Amino acid sequence: MNKGVAITGMGIISAIGNTVEENYFSLVNNKAAITSIENIPTVHKAVIKVGEIKKTNQQLADELQLAADNNFSRTALLGTIAAKQAVQNAGISSINEYRTGLISATSVGGMDMTETHYYDYFENENLVKYISCHEGGDVAHKIADELDLQGMVTTISTACSSAANAIMLGARLIKTGKLDRVIVGGTDALAKFTINGFKTLMILSDGYNMPFDNDRKGLNLGEAAAYLVLESDAIVEKENKKVLARVSGYGNANDAFHQTASSENGEGAFLAMEKAFQVANLKSEQIDYINVHGTATPNNDLSEGRAIMRIFGENKTPDFSSTKPFTGHTLAAAAAIEAVYSVLAIQNNVVFPNLNFKTPMEEFNLVPQTTLKHKNIEHVLSNSFGFGGNCSTLIFSKSI
Amino acid sequence: MTAKKTYIQSFCSIQNNEIILNGETVFNTEPTVFSDFSKKAYQNFEMNYPKFFKMDSLSKLAFLGAEILLRKEIDATKENNIALLFANKSSSLDTDVKFQNSISDKENYYPSPAVFVYTLPNICLGEISIRHQLKSENSFFIFEAFNPVFMVNYANVLLNTKKAEKVLCGWVEYYNEEYKAFLYLVGTEGNTEHQKETVEKLYNK
Repeated sequence: MNKGVAITGMGIISAIGNTVEENYFSLVNNKAAITSIENIPTVHKAVIKVGEIKKTNQQLADELQLAADNNFSRTALLGTIAAKQAVQNAGISSINEYRTGLISATSVGGMDMTETHYYDYFENENLVKYISCHEGGDVAHKIADELDLQGMVTTISTACSSAANAIMLGARLIKTGKLDRVIVGGTDALAKFTINGFKTLMILSDGYNMPFDNDRKGLNLGEAAAYLVLESDAIVEKENKKVLARVSGYGNANDAFHQTASSENGEGAFLAMEKAFQVANLKSEQIDYINVHGTATPNNDLSEGRAIMRIFGENKTPDFSSTKPFTGHTLAAAAAIEAVYSVLAIQNNVVFPNLNFKTPMEEFNLVPQTTLKHKNIEHVLSNSFGFGGNCSTLIFSKSI
Repeated sequence: MTAKKTYIQSFCSIQNNEIILNGETVFNTEPTVFSDFSKKAYQNFEMNYPKFFKMDSLSKLAFLGAEILLRKEIDATKENNIALLFANKSSSLDTDVKFQNSISDKENYYPSPAVFVYTLPNICLGEISIRHQLKSENSFFIFEAFNPVFMVNYANVLLNTKKAEKVLCGWVEYYNEEYKAFLYLVGTEGNTEHQKETVEKLYNK
């Protein structure tokens, strides 16, 4: 096994908690947070359920003590909160002491502000400040400014695999010695853009999402942000840092099938997992838990299930679960919050339950872990697949 | 890392109602709009891929160029590790403007998912990947003008680090009926050395 890159801090805000501790408490106590929409005025309010953070933009801005004339999108607000937690958790006091970067993932960026003010920009001068917060890159730069980070800042937007690719890029930059320290993760706020977009694609559930269930009807969207701090072994050694876990493997691949659907046999997912095993120098039987992508759309779970069976072999699949019934599908942030959950699984030796599961899928014999399970966890594999055929896999390992 | 020599194996340009492959005209029409020209080219080369007609103009342009260069290159029985390295100046602006027009009037608002899906430039790489079942590396860059230095370096890194066996490089610019595509295939064997000056010369031909 390859040693992997040290994770020395993490931060998260999601529908199931405003801190790492709160998220863990919800996960082990079956406290899901799929609810009606409160913060967005939408005609779908009564029908569509989401994983929403029950704080207004004003409350989030107050927490961050932002100036009244700030132009933070909700995505940037959530991202800044999670990134600050991660930096604090890693015990970093002087952020530019080492070559430190920020790689942040997002898919909606400042779309929430754009859709709110779009028709008023020409009339109302006070709103014009929000135009520059629209593009995805603005989020990462705002976070970097709030952290006083002067090093490399970049944004990755590869749909629902974005944060996995951010973590992967960060790990590679540490491994190749381009950076000493990097904050990696993703953030996405709920917006009409995604609610209506996914509704148009007819992949939203009218109830609660049921990953890997034969009667699954689609996903619930969610909003969240999470970041990990990755540090070189030189820093870990020098500062005698506590290593929470390690990023030991990663891989991404192109499904080459369809703009918004996954292939029947999960080719891209298969290739991503295969590459991650090569990087980690691990065998499939060494994985103790798979945090599946498991969006609960008919297409994803079938495609991902087939890819898992191809990689692990029939009846050899380790315990697996999707945590999306807790949080909703948080798009570009999904792989980041699930990275935090993977580290928590390793730290606490638990497999989180796949809620809402009743009936196995007729296509194969894959049954997720439906209750909290305690067992030793050395290696967790986490999948994230996005539109555009973007398939990514991360492997997290206990630090030895 | 030992930097091996790389070679331009074939090249193709599409502009002014004409397709030129390795310096020779292989197809042309009387002056016409791009939709008509691209349809005639598609028919002429018997591409037999109905999804072509759903694509926006940028994707059609990139697709045609890739089709001309890759049709003899792809072995469907094996994995073809051909990376895609593309760039242009106007991104997907042609389609972005069309999409924007469909939502600019609050009273007459109809965003079409079929148009929306093409409001990113790298969608054309997806179309080529799907057509040729390429699970390889791909990237789309936006530059003020054709940037041979960047393209040569990037392609060489892909080949020298064995991320790809070949690299299909392309400049695919389309905005408002103005178009130019210049695509070329780079590999580790061949006769024409892959150098900035050569790429520049072929682009300007």
